[in-house]
Amino acid sequence: MTIKKLVALGLSAAMVASMTAAPVFAAEEADPAAQFEGLKANEAYEFPMMVKSFQSTYWQAAVEGMQKAADELGVTFTPQGPNSESDIADQVNMINTAIAAKPVGMGLAACDTSSVTEALQKCVDDGIPVVTFDTGVSDAPEGSVVAEVVTDNAQAGSVAAENMYAAIKDVIANAEGQVIIGEINQDATAQNIQLRGAGFINKMIELIKADGKTVAVAGNEFYVNAAEGADAEEADADVVIQVAVPAQTTVELCSTEAQAILSKENCIAVFGSNQVAAEGVLAANANLNVLGSDAAAGDVIGVGFDAGSIIKAAVQDGTFLGAVTQSPLMMGYYAIYALTAAANGDEVEDVPTAGYWYDSTNMEDESIAPNLYD
Amino acid sequence: MTKKKKSILSDQRFIVLLVVIALTAIFSFMSKEFRQYNTMLSLLDFSYYDLLMAIGVTFPLITGGVDLSIGTGMVCYALIGGTLIRSHGIPVIVAMLVCVLLGVLIGTLNGVLIGVMNLPPFLATLCTCMITRGAGSLCTATPWPGLTQEGGWFHSIFKLTIGTGRSADRYPIGFLWMVILVLLMEFVLNHTKFGRYTIAIGSNKEAAALSGINVKFYHVMVYVVCGLFTGLAAIAYAAVTPTVQPGTGAGLEMDAIGGVFVGGVAATGGYGSVLGTFVGIFVIMLLKTGLPYIGLQANWQQIITGLVLIVAVLIDIIKEKKAAAL
Repeated sequence: MTIKKLVALGLSAAMVASMTAAPVFAAEEADPAAQFEGLKANEAYEFPMMVKSFQSTYWQAAVEGMQKAADELGVTFTPQGPNSESDIADQVNMINTAIAAKPVGMGLAACDTSSVTEALQKCVDDGIPVVTFDTGVSDAPEGSVVAEVVTDNAQAGSVAAENMYAAIKDVIANAEGQVIIGEINQDATAQNIQLRGAGFINKMIELIKADGKTVAVAGNEFYVNAAEGADAEEADADVVIQVAVPAQTTVELCSTEAQAILSKENCIAVFGSNQVAAEGVLAANANLNVLGSDAAAGDVIGVGFDAGSIIKAAVQDGTFLGAVTQSPLMMGYYAIYALTAAANGDEVEDVPTAGYWYDSTNMEDESIAPNLYD
Repeated sequence: MTKKKKSILSDQRFIVLLVVIALTAIFSFMSKEFRQYNTMLSLLDFSYYDLLMAIGVTFPLITGGVDLSIGTGMVCYALIGGTLIRSHGIPVIVAMLVCVLLGVLIGTLNGVLIGVMNLPPFLATLCTCMITRGAGSLCTATPWPGLTQEGGWFHSIFKLTIGTGRSADRYPIGFLWMVILVLLMEFVLNHTKFGRYTIAIGSNKEAAALSGINVKFYHVMVYVVCGLFTGLAAIAYAAVTPTVQPGTGAGLEMDAIGGVFVGGVAATGGYGSVLGTFVGIFVIMLLKTGLPYIGLQANWQQIITGLVLIVAVLIDIIKEKKAAAL
């Protein structure tokens, strides 16, 4: 009897040991995209792909990626999105309609992470696998999201902060009074913008404090609360990070907010955390003309995000110090692959993509250029 | 009974002008940055398309109707124009004409639906709003040529830039054109057949028809004029927006319509003034541009703008009640 028990115990131990060994092997697989090697669709699946909107060319690049993947796999997809990224209710309606048609899988880029939890629960109940792309959904119901194909937005935000800080740290060190760093976020509801904005702020706080200066965060309540370590009072701080979020995700409103910050004499830098916000900063600069790459000469350092022809031109001629690009093409591409794998019944892993810094010196590089859509 | 001469002080337009001056003074006092020349330049830059839309929509509002399609229509025409320039190499001047023509076309559609087929204006223009929003979304986000690019000369219609870069001098000559247009349309409203019949249709459509006015024709023309100005607004919008994006535009008509009401158009029609629209729009623009400068977050800006509009319409209704009681 005891031997049987011992053998059973030994076998269970071996089983557990082999299970723990597996993740170790999986971690060594550096390329999460390798999980799709040799993938073939079992049927000609059709997927609804819910994008945030078609407002900017970013989404057109994503759809291009989806098309490429769909052609390779022999599946089809329908991109759907509301008119603008602030039409949250419209998107929720579209999602519910898509779910009612019982698709084999759905791609989702949520305008507002907290508004889609109910719809995601329905997906769990109906057995519809969901792949989120571009932006994740925090607190998604368990089992609803099978994979995330998103940029590590906190990392992308901090990359922007690091490169910006390198250009302005002397100005901060030599400043006589308080200086302001502006951040324009198109909203405070989508997870990717939240992570990016907070990522920038927190990295900037870290860098400023490491050089012995005090910092405070002011402006939009969400980002002020999300900041970590900004313990100075706004009136006394050496550096104030001023965060503005307009009422709607339009370039005009972003531009008005950017103007209010850029026109301040002690503003030394500004960050626009996505294509709409960065273009708003450029529109604000049209009259003020303060942006440039020479901080020592008094230029305000501007950093953008994403690409598009306006931002690319600004990076090219030095109006922007540089920008961080994502890879919307690859995100759309892997979203379709992930959905096909999920529809086949396979386990799918997250496919994180990175944010890349680009400026006039590396824009033409082979590794960067394909991500810079028009 | 002789009519008492209306004192200029009780004229709503004068009151609104005082409000404009007061707001400017308050913002200038509270924010050093607001007082700068560049701020005024930016405010004017962004005011042209609102103002043009508002001048256009004054006429439907005077007839007691409304045109909800001006916001999305403006963006739609700008998108189509931009796509023609970027993807088909059409010269900018032709694209500008296309914008105006499209505006006239949709305006005629609105006019026929409302003036001839007697659809309620709210419903008819809501439908054309959706049509233009969808039509615009068929295009991809396109920028019109920038100031320094080929074809960028049209920016100079609104703002003269002498020199380049930081040391350039910028003059908002667009403001001059706006003043001329406002004065012109005010004259049209008060001294031409079209203008007077517009007011007549707004006051009492049946009486106007009975007195021999071709109500159908003039009612349609009201919306055609509105469409014409929406086309012009599209050009102004393209001049100031880096990339015109599909799906935007809904909501912009509210700024224009709000400005017209603040300027003194009667809520039920029959009275209005383009000069009033002019000052009314500046109240809206000042609030939109000035509130961020005094540190108010976006939500408060919208609350305050809404409250100001309510007060403006209430003043108008109270005045009408007083006048009726006399």
